[in-house]
Amino acid sequence: MKNYDVVVIGAGNGGLSAAATFAKAGKKVLVLEKNNLPGGCATSFRRGRFEFEATLHELCQMGKGEFQGAVRTLLDGYGLDVDWVATEEAFRSIVYGDNGFDVTMPADVQGFIDKMEEEVPGSRAQMTTILELGRMLSDGVAWLAAHNNEPGPLAKVEMMLKYKDLMKVVPQPTDDVLRKIGLPDKAREIFESYWDYVAADSTKMSFAVYCFMTYTYLTQKPWMAKNRSHEVSMAYDERIRELGGDIWYNTEVAKIDIKDGKVKGVELVDGKYIECANVMSNLMPTVVFDRMVDPAEVPEREKKLIAARKLGQHPFTVYLGLDIPYEELGFKAYDTFVRSTGDTHQQFLNSANIDTHNDYCVTIINDAIPDASPEGTCMVQFAKFYTDDPFENVKYEDYFKVKDKIAMDTVEHFEKVAGIDLKNHIEEVVVAAPVTWARYLGTPKGDVYGYEPGTWDGMFPRVQSGHKNDHTIDGLRFCGGHGTQMDGYSQAYLSGAEQARYMMEEM
Amino acid sequence: MAKYNYDKSVLKGYGVGPFLGEVKVREAHIAAAPAEEIQSIFNANIIAKKLHPSIVFAKVAKVEEQPLAKIYTLVADKEKGTEELPYFRAGQYVSVALFMENGEFISKPYTLAGNPKDAIGENSSYRIMVKESANPHASGFIHENWKVGTEVILGTPVGDFYHNGLRDAKKVIAASGGSGITPFISMAYAIAEGIEDFEMTLLCGHKNWEEIAFRDELDELVKKCKGKFKVIHVLSEAEHEGCEKGFITTDLIKKYAGNDDYSLLICGNRAFYDHMDTVVAELGLPRRRARFELRGEFGAPSNDPAYKGDENATYKLKVWVKDEAHDLECNANEPLIVAIQKAGIGLTTDCRSGICGWCHSRLICGNVFIPESADGRREADKKFGWIHPCATYALSDIEMEVFPSF
Ligand SMILES: Cc1cc2nc3c(=O)[nH]c(=O)nc-3n(C[C@H](O)[C@H](O)[C@H](O)COP(=O)(O)OP(=O)(O)OC[C@H]3O[C@@H](n4cnc5c(N)ncnc54)[C@H](O)[C@@H]3O)c2cc1C
Repeated sequence: MKNYDVVVIGAGNGGLSAAATFAKAGKKVLVLEKNNLPGGCATSFRRGRFEFEATLHELCQMGKGEFQGAVRTLLDGYGLDVDWVATEEAFRSIVYGDNGFDVTMPADVQGFIDKMEEEVPGSRAQMTTILELGRMLSDGVAWLAAHNNEPGPLAKVEMMLKYKDLMKVVPQPTDDVLRKIGLPDKAREIFESYWDYVAADSTKMSFAVYCFMTYTYLTQKPWMAKNRSHEVSMAYDERIRELGGDIWYNTEVAKIDIKDGKVKGVELVDGKYIECANVMSNLMPTVVFDRMVDPAEVPEREKKLIAARKLGQHPFTVYLGLDIPYEELGFKAYDTFVRSTGDTHQQFLNSANIDTHNDYCVTIINDAIPDASPEGTCMVQFAKFYTDDPFENVKYEDYFKVKDKIAMDTVEHFEKVAGIDLKNHIEEVVVAAPVTWARYLGTPKGDVYGYEPGTWDGMFPRVQSGHKNDHTIDGLRFCGGHGTQMDGYSQAYLSGAEQARYMMEEM
Repeated sequence: MAKYNYDKSVLKGYGVGPFLGEVKVREAHIAAAPAEEIQSIFNANIIAKKLHPSIVFAKVAKVEEQPLAKIYTLVADKEKGTEELPYFRAGQYVSVALFMENGEFISKPYTLAGNPKDAIGENSSYRIMVKESANPHASGFIHENWKVGTEVILGTPVGDFYHNGLRDAKKVIAASGGSGITPFISMAYAIAEGIEDFEMTLLCGHKNWEEIAFRDELDELVKKCKGKFKVIHVLSEAEHEGCEKGFITTDLIKKYAGNDDYSLLICGNRAFYDHMDTVVAELGLPRRRARFELRGEFGAPSNDPAYKGDENATYKLKVWVKDEAHDLECNANEPLIVAIQKAGIGLTTDCRSGICGWCHSRLICGNVFIPESADGRREADKKFGWIHPCATYALSDIEMEVFPSF
């Protein structure tokens, strides 16, 4: 058996990115993945003549040319062979009901401001201020990244001079800052549409993080892969191997062997033992410390940290392959947030259980990639993110029924909201409940967003703790959507690269 | 001019103190939390594990003879660690793993032909029907070796051949050829139990009256379903009272479908599917209204006119499993998985039809033929040279990497 410098557990976005970082630096890396293909969430599946995207609506921080983002730089740096596609639309946001709205916002700063003014007269000055803050934040985040997010004493002085305003708005909740700036309510509700992607509503989400994310979507556009996210995952697989790494699929890790606070190796479910002093876990700490580590070796701090945190979100997804061309569907938009209210905190509360949750995201890939499905067809995906486990009280034998009912209710709800007919066009349908995600990823309650990035545990404090404070076991680090950068593709990629860099310092 | 064009006054009242203190605040939150037991298993995880254990250990509990087939009742093998067989959707199948004495391994899909409810609880059981001729290799092995008490390894229930209320019409016309009857028996049970809510008329194709499997059970099910399930036996080679004579034709389906919107569900062998392709075309049904169960093994590659290889050739096949290489030979006229499984490598496929993707493998070098109709790969797999060996044929010497489950 070969000797490996490092073993990566899990070939999700974080694990793949970490593995590519190791391999590129000349480390001998072995990736162990329990599923039969890479990607974790970043995958696709075939049904009949359709290939469905499992998760990716859009990648953040991509851009190109003048607006090249950090994630583009990272992925190009690995040399991934991916056919990337951008869309010019930020989102469509529909609040149904009496005082609702239905707006489509372009992915362009000036266009966004103009469109907002058209929808909400009197919002121009405030919106301009907000997106200027976004520009400052985006520069600030780039500056920090250039300092590996750990500015030394001198750089800290520079930061005070240049990015004092960033420091001021990081700890402030999005909602508070927008209100303080005086953005009219409706404009605020439109601006906050993206909250579902960040797992914390606008009363808890850092203004700096939210505004930065929105701003980069506007300047760098939302991106996806022509052949679904599976293309990105497969491109990683290819590059990691070209760079000398090995990847074993259908290989589930049972235990991380830790003695006296030091990693010794990993044990596979089939009993095989792989000796290695460095393990990068793409699995979240909750899973590792509950199931995979000798309880006597679990540091007290990890127990407390896990107890202090709340899990992220638990998705329910419905994928439809329709026998009608997109142009005839009667609904136009790539990505639409369908909302019961514009109040994100209320949305957050409603999202906790089956009876009250009627908010979801609708993605029509053919809007961005017209030939994503055969001629005369299109694909519609629904994603409903629960803020708690909707299946907590569901009996095993009722599971299929409950799952079918949520899927049916969601599709019929959208038919009403959009005034279109879907049910008479469904050729293929796949439904994934939190149970499905739990099965596929192994996460608690099917969590796909790691931990709620609420104020005290937001991106900035996590990033500042990711090198030292949160590192408790010699030779063990964590990366992924549960990591320092919060949930999401780009964030998982960045976290993999970041944690691999820290680990190599110690190797 | 300031670098950023925003009114600084909007940030009035915000200082940098909270930012500088963020890590401390976070540490305080952590310190204040209880060092309690970590919990990562919740109800959703428990359901997931029960529905999809990584491996299912079962035992043969009963063997029954039916015309041209044997019916096996399987129960959970508790001693081996399977407390309960996973629940399933009426119409799904399981892959059965067979380890032969000569070291060969083979995996085959069998439809779950029983009452889904029987899978639930202490005494959970499945029922599968194994035909005499389907695949002499696997079925012969089963017929010869499976006795009451035989230990069996199964995959978890899979497949999309079940009624989905979002997609399928409330009225179903089911067309079965021979042993293709099995998923519909399970569906009839689901209707009788109130698990499924649709009406089904089963057009059941057989050669003659004597060959019909489950005949009495079907009569019982018709009664239990109280009007929601009807059976019409269609005999191709004989006449019998109350049965239709001939094949399942366009007119026959029209006769039983009437004018309502209906879904046509079709299960049988390849010859039956070829016949039903024509029927479906004549009926003018949209694709969403005609659903075929898995087509099964593609068979000889020359079944596809695009095949230009030499079917009589044999090629060298180098197969990597983790850090070990196996040097094998393969026949050009068999899918690659045959040679791989024959060598005892536990590479599994649920469907054996190119569709499920479970045998997803990396082609390192060599040329292969993949029949278009059995190419269930994702686009990026094609781009990066990954294959489903259950529906891939060698055109040259091959080197590849596989990821076995056993
Ligand atoms: C419906 C949906 C839509 C989304 N849309 C977007 C979007 O538009 N944009 C965006 O940026 N993000 C989106 N996300 C979020 C994003 O997909 C995730 O945050 C991100 O992919 C998480 O990556 P990860 O690295 O944490 O790994 P995961 O995807 O969780 O992967 C972990 C891997 O580890 C493997 N594993 C687990 N246990 C073991 C074990 N014991 N041994 C070996 N391997 C193991 C798993 O099989 C898996 O492959 C979406 C998520 C969902 C569910």
